Amino acid sequence: MTQARWFGPLLFTALVTALLFLILPVVAIFVDTGPGELLATLDDPAAVDALTLSLWTSALAVAIIVVVGTPAAYLLATRSFRGRSVVITLIELPLVLPPAVAGIGLLAALGPNGLIGDSLDDAGVRVVLTTASVVLALTFVAAPFYLRQAEAAFSALDRTWLEASRTLGAGEATTFAQVAIPAALPGLIAGLALAWGRALGEFGATLMFAGSFRGVTQTVPLAIYERFATDFTAALGLSAVLVAVSAAILLTVKLATHASPARVLAPR
Amino acid sequence: MTRPSRRCLVLLGATLVAACGADEEPASSGGSASKPVVVSAATSLKKALAAYGEQFEGGTVRLSFAGSDELAAQIRQGIKPDVFAAANTELPDALFAEGLVDKPVSFTTNELVLAVPEQGGTVDSVDDLGAEGTTLAIGAEGVPVGDYTRTVLDRLPAAQSKAILANVRSNEPDVGGVVGKLTQGAVDAGFVYRSDVEGAGGRLRPIELPDRLKPTVEYGVALVKRAPNPAGGRAFVTGLLDGAGARALSDNGFGSPPGR
Amino acid sequence: MSSLRVEAATDLGPIRLELDLTVAAGRCLAVVGASGAGKSSTLRIAAGLLRPRAGRVVCGDATWLDTERGINRRPEERRCGYVFQDYALFPHRRAWQNVAYALRDRPREHREAEARGWLSRFGLDAVADARPATLSGGERQRVALARALARRPDVLLLDEPLSALDATTRAGAERELAEVLAQTEIPVVLVTHDFTQAALIGDEVAVIDSGRLVQRGSASELAARPATAFVADFTGAVILRGTAAPAGDGTTEVTLAGGDRIRSTDTVQGPVAATVFPWEITVEPAGAWAGAPRSAQNRLDAEILSVTTIGGRVRLGLTGAERLTAEVSTTAVAHLDLRPGTAVAATWKAAATRLIAV
Repeated sequence: MTQARWFGPLLFTALVTALLFLILPVVAIFVDTGPGELLATLDDPAAVDALTLSLWTSALAVAIIVVVGTPAAYLLATRSFRGRSVVITLIELPLVLPPAVAGIGLLAALGPNGLIGDSLDDAGVRVVLTTASVVLALTFVAAPFYLRQAEAAFSALDRTWLEASRTLGAGEATTFAQVAIPAALPGLIAGLALAWGRALGEFGATLMFAGSFRGVTQTVPLAIYERFATDFTAALGLSAVLVAVSAAILLTVKLATHASPARVLAPR
Repeated sequence: MTRPSRRCLVLLGATLVAACGADEEPASSGGSASKPVVVSAATSLKKALAAYGEQFEGGTVRLSFAGSDELAAQIRQGIKPDVFAAANTELPDALFAEGLVDKPVSFTTNELVLAVPEQGGTVDSVDDLGAEGTTLAIGAEGVPVGDYTRTVLDRLPAAQSKAILANVRSNEPDVGGVVGKLTQGAVDAGFVYRSDVEGAGGRLRPIELPDRLKPTVEYGVALVKRAPNPAGGRAFVTGLLDGAGARALSDNGFGSPPGR
Repeated sequence: MSSLRVEAATDLGPIRLELDLTVAAGRCLAVVGASGAGKSSTLRIAAGLLRPRAGRVVCGDATWLDTERGINRRPEERRCGYVFQDYALFPHRRAWQNVAYALRDRPREHREAEARGWLSRFGLDAVADARPATLSGGERQRVALARALARRPDVLLLDEPLSALDATTRAGAERELAEVLAQTEIPVVLVTHDFTQAALIGDEVAVIDSGRLVQRGSASELAARPATAFVADFTGAVILRGTAAPAGDGTTEVTLAGGDRIRSTDTVQGPVAATVFPWEITVEPAGAWAGAPRSAQNRLDAEILSVTTIGGRVRLGLTGAERLTAEVSTTAVAHLDLRPGTAVAATWKAAATRLIAV
């Protein structure tokens, strides 16, 4: 009886503490920024540039991740092959890499003196300090988030659905498109939201690999960092905008899944 | 919301963001097991101060490097290192005017140079910087090395300065970032300190700027008010002005303090 | 119409599967056995969902699998209708859309109408637009069956199609399934662990034990002359068909096809299958009993057709107005001198008689 009496409140306290800790910085941003400052931020062309750049580079990165990652995750989830667990660990590796290490890695691979970047550079293709390099950095750091979720979503599928589809005359590709993906959709969308959030927030790898230049490579996190030292108010404003945009994306994605998983797919 | 609690919240956010950019190097030494001396210093001082810290007799030195403007912002938010060493005098003077530090002292000078990769550079002088296809990296506005660079560009004819700015590919938050882009081979040229070129182990070649363009690069140091270890801070600054610190600075390519 | 032949030799974990089964067109072979014996694997091999180490699957003139000649047609290339144990209805598609999935070789405009037609045939008009999650077990089973048949397959494979249903629903479903299968002209293989179900629905029953076919024949043959103890254990009930009506004293009287009447304590009416386990039937020499039959006891006259000894038990095949199987001890056989041709009376309790509506 005594154990029961403190365990409940302990759980509750843990949750409240965690919640407060996580919410506090976010709330602080909005408390410090009045709506007037928020709007003023949107008037600043550099801030708007950063926001536009962040939005479309992250969207492009996510698009690449989904297009390449979905079939990859499906293969991982539905086939067993030698070295499968090794492959899974390799894919999850960037997840535990600090962004700075990710930046170094990208440079070591694609930088002008890098493994592949060297030959590219000789051929006249310089990858770094371009918008393309921003997309590359975002893709690298955000991909594992999607792949993990997608693999889990496909693994959770009832195999008999896929088998039934085959016995009904549908080949592997059709089964993938018309049974696997629709059935796994909520998990896939959750992964997409996670990956997009991660991509929007990426800072370290972008700074090292892509540099920071307005309109080309200065994403919102980099813009915030630039303003933080000299104009804290502007930094707050931009932070608030990013939080609002990220929350909007998360919300839209959640609503899309909950509203009706079926309406997302048109009946044949 | 009241001022103290507002600052408290902002401090939390600031610390989180600043943690990304700043990096810490504990430099230990012989000496008493007393409180450590915490020093916030400009990135360009990294090698010199690390060497000094190892020889420092007055206790353990904890060094924190970042762009000087970022360090100043931290101090404004209430973070209290014992010593603040910046790559210009404007930032320490501003903090002094705000009552956050004691009167600053200039402790060394440096030279802004145009740096290019040692091997295969396409740039030989400032005149080449405006050429089509040349790429360069400079410090962001507000960062000392960035402000010095912009001073140089202001002293050039408007057309030339405009052409050069058009070739900038990255505005780095500290001089370490500019050096990094240069050593990677990501840009053709960059404005850094002479001490950085010396510290790059032969990978960079400095191009001296013409006298009329050279900005005065003077580093200021100040003791932060109400810091935890004022005695240790004072000892550190003394050595910096005339002792193991001064020697470390000159060993690493810094100039002597003005007026000495 | 063509028959199906499945030959397979492969390892399934600790068991080695070795089978050779043929099912003629229009016939239903019920495959029974314990879990893990290899029954479902046999279906999966036929459908192409499992590749055996060695084997052949031939449907009519089409060779679907021949490991020796390197032929292995993919599942979508074989025309199998497959009903899974948990039905495997696509959760994101409505009932009619599930059926429509099978109609991919029809022009798109016709699919919906044809799919709805199939559901109609199974009495599922009301739920045609529902999603599988909202359907009852019995409805899901019917949708799965409709979906499998909609493809107009050359072979129908049913993997424990009624196991997922609760007992009440199952009874009706068994009846329906038997009717549907009676109308199909393709070979059907039904896998089940329930011998009574196999006996009711299948034209023939095959018993699989540890990966091998142990015995094949009609349900009564298997019950009367089990080849092994396993078959004896498995083939429990004797099945008698008749019509049931209340007897007035709380019990039910069943008028059997052969004219005899028996009693049961189950309360079911109408056409029924009455089942009794062989070990509940006692055999006495004819004439040993005199007097009016009591309502608690059933009694039928019969003649011993066969005496089969398995271990310490003896199965007696009895024939008379009905075919019965009794299981007695070797001592009883010796004591009563039971041999083929002996006239006997078979008795069992009314309470031991189970009734299944058919």
